[in-house]
Amino acid sequence: MATLIDVQVLWKLVASSLAGGIGVTLAFSVAIYGATRFVDLRREGHSIVAGGFAALAALALAAVAAAVIWAVSILAQKS
Amino acid sequence: MGSDLILVIVVATALAFDFTNGFHDTANAVATLISTRALSPRLAVGMSAVLNFVGAFVSIKVATTVGTGIVNAGASSTTIVFAGLIGAIGWNLVTWYFGLPSSSSHALIGGVVGATLAAKGADAVQGEGLVENVILPAIIAPVLALAVAAVAIVVAYRVAGRLRPGPASRGFRSGQLVTGGMLSFAHGTNDAQKTMGIIVLALIAHGNFTAANFHVPAWVMISSATAIALGTYAGGWRIIRTMGMRIIKMDSAQGLAAQAAGSAVILASSHFGYPLSTTHVISGAVMGAGAGKRLSAVRWGVAGNIAAAWVLTLPAAAAGGAVVYGLTRVFGTGPTGPLVVSLMAVALLAVVSARRLAEGRTLTAEG
Repeated sequence: MATLIDVQVLWKLVASSLAGGIGVTLAFSVAIYGATRFVDLRREGHSIVAGGFAALAALALAAVAAAVIWAVSILAQKS
Repeated sequence: MGSDLILVIVVATALAFDFTNGFHDTANAVATLISTRALSPRLAVGMSAVLNFVGAFVSIKVATTVGTGIVNAGASSTTIVFAGLIGAIGWNLVTWYFGLPSSSSHALIGGVVGATLAAKGADAVQGEGLVENVILPAIIAPVLALAVAAVAIVVAYRVAGRLRPGPASRGFRSGQLVTGGMLSFAHGTNDAQKTMGIIVLALIAHGNFTAANFHVPAWVMISSATAIALGTYAGGWRIIRTMGMRIIKMDSAQGLAAQAAGSAVILASSHFGYPLSTTHVISGAVMGAGAGKRLSAVRWGVAGNIAAAWVLTLPAAAAGGAVVYGLTRVFGTGPTGPLVVSLMAVALLAVVSARRLAEGRTLTAEG
């Protein structure tokens, strides 16, 4: 069995899957949180704090975009 | 002349398998999109079809594994490949009928292994390759995806769970478009190549080129990509219903967590050269997204039926492949056997497709 499973690769697979799956979900959740708080706070007149949440949402979306580009590049390198 | 006719039948059968692979696995990418209403059913399968087509051109790694890593390519024959394909198509249709998301990869490999065992005996099967490339990943894939999705949904609820439901749901649904697109793309890179690999295996058996000179001709790539895209667009609505609605009652955050976890596991496995079934991954992720909310949110009876189908896929498809090989040999070694069997299979597929189209319209109308 040990010859059939490369344990090091398996651990890397587990770690990468956890980081990618949780990371992308976290980034989207933060983007949604930031965007929603931005809308709410701007409506209440707190423009400066609202701007901070808008920046947070933008950063989170940028992280998602980077993850997608990285993923496509991984697939493209498989050949 | 006779061997040329068998090769033509094998290629046509391989493309038919590719079509069933597409509609059987449509659910992997679109079930969560449809059940959370992130996209309409027709738009979801359309997007998935396009991305499957594009993804098919990205790599030939999986094609190489299927073509050279499971059975000894030199010991194969076009009739063996044909019998394996019919065994795989048969199992795909059975599991589709019962709405069970089983692995098309395992069906294909099982069919070819069964036909090879019947024709050449156990020595022609690469047992170690089978365990390493098929059986171990089948155990690891769903467990890993379940764990990742379970943690991901907890994170999503912690961060965005107290927001107003309207904007939060819209946000998660928008995110699903990205993760669903990634799943479809990854599926195309993996599954269209299986058919490419099997067609190349037939070309090697026919003597067009040798196993040492393994490559995928352009016409094989284009036809395989087209067949899986058309199958995806046709949509396997029974399995979509199971995956999207029957395992858990899914909200948009769970849909995103399941898709993100599924994409991450598939992409990581591709990166590290670990061949996982996309069906096993996304089914495990959907269960994890439910279990992360609460264990009782998962309908474990449905999950058990799916797991049973996974266990049965290899032996059932292998038995089908072996029986079809025996049937073709009743008509001798010429093209008559494959011709008779393929005509029977086409007739069956026509009947099943007509029924599927009717169901597709029903689900589309429901929304």
